[in-house]
Amino acid sequence: MAKDPLRTKLCDMLGIEFPVIAFTHCKDVAVAVINAGGFAVLGEAMHTPDAIAADIKWIRDRVDGKPFGIDLVLPASVPPTGSLDELSAKIPEEHRAFARHIKEKYDVPDPKGPIALHQWGGLNQAMARKQLDVLLEERVPVIASGLGSPAFILDTAHERGIKVFGLVGKKRQAKRQIEAGVDAIIAQGFDAAGHTGDVGTFSIVPDVASIAGDTPVIAAGGVTTGRHLAAALCLGASGVWTGTLWLACRESDVDMIIKERLLAAEADDTSWSDCISGMTMRVLKCPWTEEWAGPDAPRVLPAPYQMLLSSDYIQGANDNRRADLMTEASGQGVGFVTSMKPARQILFDLVEETLAAFEEITGELG
Amino acid sequence: MGEATTGTTETTATAGFDAALAGRRAECDGGGPIAGTRWAGRQDFAGTLTGDFVDHGDPPWRWYLLVELTLKPASYEHDAVWCESGNLFVMDRPSS
Repeated sequence: MAKDPLRTKLCDMLGIEFPVIAFTHCKDVAVAVINAGGFAVLGEAMHTPDAIAADIKWIRDRVDGKPFGIDLVLPASVPPTGSLDELSAKIPEEHRAFARHIKEKYDVPDPKGPIALHQWGGLNQAMARKQLDVLLEERVPVIASGLGSPAFILDTAHERGIKVFGLVGKKRQAKRQIEAGVDAIIAQGFDAAGHTGDVGTFSIVPDVASIAGDTPVIAAGGVTTGRHLAAALCLGASGVWTGTLWLACRESDVDMIIKERLLAAEADDTSWSDCISGMTMRVLKCPWTEEWAGPDAPRVLPAPYQMLLSSDYIQGANDNRRADLMTEASGQGVGFVTSMKPARQILFDLVEETLAAFEEITGELG
Repeated sequence: MGEATTGTTETTATAGFDAALAGRRAECDGGGPIAGTRWAGRQDFAGTLTGDFVDHGDPPWRWYLLVELTLKPASYEHDAVWCESGNLFVMDRPSS
């Protein structure tokens, strides 16, 4: 009897039916995917330790003992920083003037409330450290680190029965984390939403698989169809990490305006730029990204100055729900996200498409 | 080693010095969360380690100071960066 191609070592390790991980910031999406046979990791980078603890309880109450994960964006480098006022004072007038020019040209409204950036103290290691301590105390089934290496908590996590996944954009990062003993390694390609390395998914996945040994490799970046999942398994992955796929699903709490933009977007409607934060990331194109890509734009400021500069635009657009101005992190696979379906249906469609893709190949070979 | 607390929180940070790393060339696959958003970004650095480090919390989360930066984002204006040990790659051999 032929082996089920969707039954991978990642499935066996996590006790899940399908080798599909949904990365989401929405608890409802996470629970829907988990209860449909997939796995979900909830992004909690922006949440306080108390809010994270509450979210963990909320999920546990709804998944009947099934495993889930929590993702934190552990920093990998931190510049010397001062207070927000000190930082704001250092933004050059040329850059302030360019931001004002964009605001006037596109009639960007003022934010309705205080700018969130100014209320959050996460500009150093301390916040991430406290968030991490909650995950260890709560003994969440899986801790995923979305950027920095989680190696320093491996022993403590394993003692508590917690599995640790690391997300990497380079082979050397993968080697370091695999040697440290992470339970799975997420190889993220350039196609991905948000922060990405500069190596494509089709290159980094087999590269990491070649050194992973028994450690499951999870492919990330541009995975939005069953063909992508089938390809990822052929490249040596044991599963896929998907984010953009779930942004426009029924359960998602993403603003309907953004959902509509995602459903209409193609791969080249995304921009890989440092103009929002001073650090490279992939987002849906918007006037802010387009203007900073122009020949008259000043050089982008370093983090966190650029974020201080862009936060007025970002929050003004979001608070006032201006469809022509808003943006969201999105991967290049967004072109295949074309209808607003329940998360459960998305997962089942992905599985059927994958099996059909394999059947197409083996049928041709036979 | 000296002991201090980190800014506005009570997380313990312990400073130290590793003479074996002082003066070594290193690369840092850096980046971090973007304050005020749920996004993150990547930044690559290369430079020279001073040997200074800081351990945050328990288990210790170790950060090394990288200076004389020869590679940094075009917009990065600082002369130094703190790099998390797991994302730091020493590129030369120790001097004998």
